[in-house]
Amino acid sequence: GLIRFNDLYRLYEFENGKTQLFNSWGVVLKIIKHYQEEGQGSEVVQGVLLGLVVEDRLEITNCFPFPQHTEDDVDFDEVQYQMEMMRSLRHVNIDHLHVGWYQSTYYGSFVSRALLDSQFSYQHAIEESVVLIYDPIKTAQGSLCLKAYRLTPKLMEICKEKDFSPETLKKACVGYEHMLEEVPIVIKNSHLINVLLLDLQEKSMVADKHELLNLSSSNHLEKSLQLLMDRVDGMSQEIVKYNSYCRNLSKQQQQKQQYLQRRQQENTQRQSRGEPPLPEEDINKMFKPPQAPPRMDTLLIAGQVNNYCQNIKAFTSQNLGKLFMAEALQGHSS
Amino acid sequence: MSRFFATGSDSESEESSSADEITPKATGTTFNKQFEEFTNIIKTIRNAMKIRDMSKCLEEFEQLYRAFLKSKTIMDKEGVPQFYIRLLADLEDYLNQLWEDKEGKKKMNKNNAKALSTLRQKIRKYNKDFETEIASYKENPEQSAEEEEKDDIGSGYTLSLCQDEESESEDDEESEDWGSDSVDSGGESEDNEGAAASLAVVFLKKYVYGDKHPERKKDDRRKRHKKMEQVDEEADEEGEGEEGGWEKVKGGVPLVKEKPKMFAKGTEINNAVVIKKLNEILQARGKKGTDRSAQIELLHALAGISNENNLGEGILVKIKFNIIASLYDYNTNLAAFMKAEMWKKCLECIDELLDILFENSNIFIGENIAEDSENLAISDQPFRVRGCILTLVERMDEEFTKIMQNTDPHSQEYVDNLKDEGRVCGIIDRLLQYLESKGSTEEVCRVYLRRIMHTYYKFDYKAHRRSLGLQGETKSEQDQEESEGEDSAIIMDRLCKFIYAKDRTDRIRTCAILCHIYHHALHSRWYQARDLMLMSHLQDNIQHADPPVQILYNRTMVQLGICAFRQGMIKDAHNALLDIQSSGRAKELLGQGLLMRNMQERNAEQEKIEKRRQVPFHMHINLELLECVYLVSAMLLEIPYMAAHEFDARRRMISKQFHHQLRVGERQPLLGPPESMREHVVAASKAMKMGDWKTCHSFIINEKMNSKVWDLFPETQRVREMLVRKIQEESLRTYLFTYSSVYDSLSMETLSEMFELELPTVHSIISKMIINEELMASLDQPTQTVVMHRTEPTSLQNMTLQLAEKLGGLVENNERVFDLKQGVYGGYFNRDQKGGYQQRQNYQRGGYRNQNQSSY
Repeated sequence: GLIRFNDLYRLYEFENGKTQLFNSWGVVLKIIKHYQEEGQGSEVVQGVLLGLVVEDRLEITNCFPFPQHTEDDVDFDEVQYQMEMMRSLRHVNIDHLHVGWYQSTYYGSFVSRALLDSQFSYQHAIEESVVLIYDPIKTAQGSLCLKAYRLTPKLMEICKEKDFSPETLKKACVGYEHMLEEVPIVIKNSHLINVLLLDLQEKSMVADKHELLNLSSSNHLEKSLQLLMDRVDGMSQEIVKYNSYCRNLSKQQQQKQQYLQRRQQENTQRQSRGEPPLPEEDINKMFKPPQAPPRMDTLLIAGQVNNYCQNIKAFTSQNLGKLFMAEALQGHSS
Repeated sequence: MSRFFATGSDSESEESSSADEITPKATGTTFNKQFEEFTNIIKTIRNAMKIRDMSKCLEEFEQLYRAFLKSKTIMDKEGVPQFYIRLLADLEDYLNQLWEDKEGKKKMNKNNAKALSTLRQKIRKYNKDFETEIASYKENPEQSAEEEEKDDIGSGYTLSLCQDEESESEDDEESEDWGSDSVDSGGESEDNEGAAASLAVVFLKKYVYGDKHPERKKDDRRKRHKKMEQVDEEADEEGEGEEGGWEKVKGGVPLVKEKPKMFAKGTEINNAVVIKKLNEILQARGKKGTDRSAQIELLHALAGISNENNLGEGILVKIKFNIIASLYDYNTNLAAFMKAEMWKKCLECIDELLDILFENSNIFIGENIAEDSENLAISDQPFRVRGCILTLVERMDEEFTKIMQNTDPHSQEYVDNLKDEGRVCGIIDRLLQYLESKGSTEEVCRVYLRRIMHTYYKFDYKAHRRSLGLQGETKSEQDQEESEGEDSAIIMDRLCKFIYAKDRTDRIRTCAILCHIYHHALHSRWYQARDLMLMSHLQDNIQHADPPVQILYNRTMVQLGICAFRQGMIKDAHNALLDIQSSGRAKELLGQGLLMRNMQERNAEQEKIEKRRQVPFHMHINLELLECVYLVSAMLLEIPYMAAHEFDARRRMISKQFHHQLRVGERQPLLGPPESMREHVVAASKAMKMGDWKTCHSFIINEKMNSKVWDLFPETQRVREMLVRKIQEESLRTYLFTYSSVYDSLSMETLSEMFELELPTVHSIISKMIINEELMASLDQPTQTVVMHRTEPTSLQNMTLQLAEKLGGLVENNERVFDLKQGVYGGYFNRDQKGGYQQRQNYQRGGYRNQNQSSY
């Protein structure tokens, strides 16, 4: 999918209610360009966001891509590259402060362990970091899809502890809904560009916008379903794992209980005989609780499934709307 | 001491010997030691020379050189000893000789060749110091040697007073020396006549020794019995009692003459004497140090004697039995196989034995006849001989298999060896005749099985020709002769049925059944073969059988599968071959070779056992043919199935092997025209997937595939026709599965043209598909068209169904977790729910099963 000039106009109209994040058009176009040049299919492109914090908002004013590096050049040092790049930018007097990173996504699949880990390290090091998720497929369908996410403080706490056991997560009350918080984005342009866009809007025809009415093929839906199915499978496996853990745990509890009872009986007998009671400390050595499966993956999967569902829902409701519109139009014309 | 370092000059030695008598004891021992060192080194060098071990020679020579330097002071005083010079001269000669021998040098390994050249240079340089001595030695080698020996003996005697012990021990050493030398020279005269000539010393020494024992001047032939001789010698020298004396009878005394002679002159040769002799010979059997080949010769001679003296067949049979037995004994190692000459001899012997048995119906043989109830003498009573001809023949058959296993199957030798198969079969046939009249049923069963084993894997071309009506033109006499015999099918039937009825050991019957099935399958009698296989229930309990039987079973199953394929029963063929092929170890399972990757897992012992199980090459089943048949069957089954279940999440693979090949094909970065058989099948599968039967056909049947596979079938044309037809039919089905969603209706005539099938065939195929609910369509009779119902779910719908199913599973799993939390195991609500899911699943599964069944 190509972004034409008149798309830019539409992009201009895109605005979110609450402003927290300012993004300049240059950045958006750079990200899009990066994907179109290097990303293909399910491949993911990534890059670094640069900008600065102004009052309560984060302004992203520039970015640069991570180079695709093949497995051949192992000694390629990403950190080195970043530092080098930022130093160079600084020399030409461009904002060089690291404020996060961006990543493209394939049918909305981005909630993964890798994202969590890197976002955590970013947010840990630079508190205000965000991750920008760019969905090229949706964008190609006619609406720019760019979202900014941050890890919630709760999740940050958990990640810091590196404790993903069921109990901790339960205590922290972290559900899949509470993992990432979306940050509203506002895209700002210089006035000169605004003028250009307005000018272009005048010239653009309705014919160019027919893409908006395009009923996307079921291919998109199929892909989403496939991905969704895959994640559901993963979820099932996780649940089975958890289930067997729970069963093992309860079984052990029972055994422990039985053992304790027996020991108590023995002790009472011993007491009646006047012997010293047997100690009860060794019980924990004998019954080591089974390793609890980390629940983070389950959470991530749930988040991803949620994401897919949202996507599919949005997609279908759009399509349905279009269908109704077409029907109405047909009824009108006949 | 001079005795040891004596030179050629007598006077000097005389002097030195007198001087020696006053030499202190201490120096004497050191000299002694040095001498011993010298002789030892020389001995090893000579041995190394004999086995042409140059590196050893070089090593020892260097030691010798060092030892020589050590005793330089004495050397200076006494002069260089004669034997040292002798060695140097011999060594040089020997090396030059080797050097000239270009052929031999080539054969040498690298180390040896290198050692040879260095040693040659060294000795050349070294020998310059002793030029004169060596020259004098070369001029008159014997004399100098004799002199030395004489001197040796003389001084030995003179010194015997003061050095009694020493000289005695020396003497012993000498005799031992002699012994080993004679052994070696004996060996040499057998393998290396030429090299012996240069080893003058050996002969010289012997010559000298020979003075004491005149009878030792023997021709080479006798030396072959060197071990016996040694034993004899010991007996001679030690003069032992009965034991030694007994040994002497057999080896020692007759050895005086050219030929081994059994009996003293003038002995009246009668039964009792011959039997006694025979027993004597037999008692040595299996003992350590018994020369087995000599024993065989002795027995032969004994047979000749008994024949000359007309002692009757009884004794002859007895001797023959023992000859054959000792022929088998010749190889102590179970893995080793008979030498060709032995094998020929063995065959001859058995033939002769059978001749005698056939000519004289009054000979009873059997294992059950006790040794003392034997009747070997000519009398009114029939002969009774202990021994089992069947065992001998069975052993012979095994030896034959062993010979075939150990011959390179691609050599002319293999062909030559295989020619003996006719003789083996002939012998088995004769034995069969003999036992049919005389043997017990058990024995008959055993010999029948042997006969079956030699028949079942051979394709009966003459019966095949006859069935085709081509019998009229037999070209040669041999053909005519052949066609006079029974059809192998009839023979198999007769023999196997006898075994089924009479056999009481399970193993023989199992083998017979398997061979029978194999034979049926080989001759395309599919229904008989299959019925026999099913009736025997072998498939259920074959895993309890021993490995050779299992190998036979595998062979049979494979042959059965190939037979089914030839008959166009693709599904049966696939099922029969599935087990063998899916393991990926077909080669091993059929006993046609060992797999390399298992090499680490098994130890040498196991490997030997496995090697012994291998089927000889001429009985092999072509593995490529086997794989091709399997893959083509799998293709014919799998491609339509895949097309029919394209969106089915639960789709199961019919053949993993086939899918593997497909994947390998897909992984290829650049797809060239197919080369190997597998690539052909993969390419054909791809064409079939598109419903393109013509391309598929051209990939499966072409010149390459013909020469590789299809021409190996006896009825190659018929098989090819069947294949074309199958390809057409299955392509049609695949086409309908794949593209039915594109059509509203399809003319059957078009289809029949497209796939070059007759209209009724197309009609029947489509009807079958409709009945089986594989194709949602109906037939419109008047227009001869297939009208599609378009009720197949789209891929999206399919996918949603799958998702729903998966979500169902997820919910179920989730509820289980919930259950655990609640501590309620299967509450009312839950059970209800589960039932619901199960019902639905059952319903769906039912649907799948229907489809599955219909697709076959």
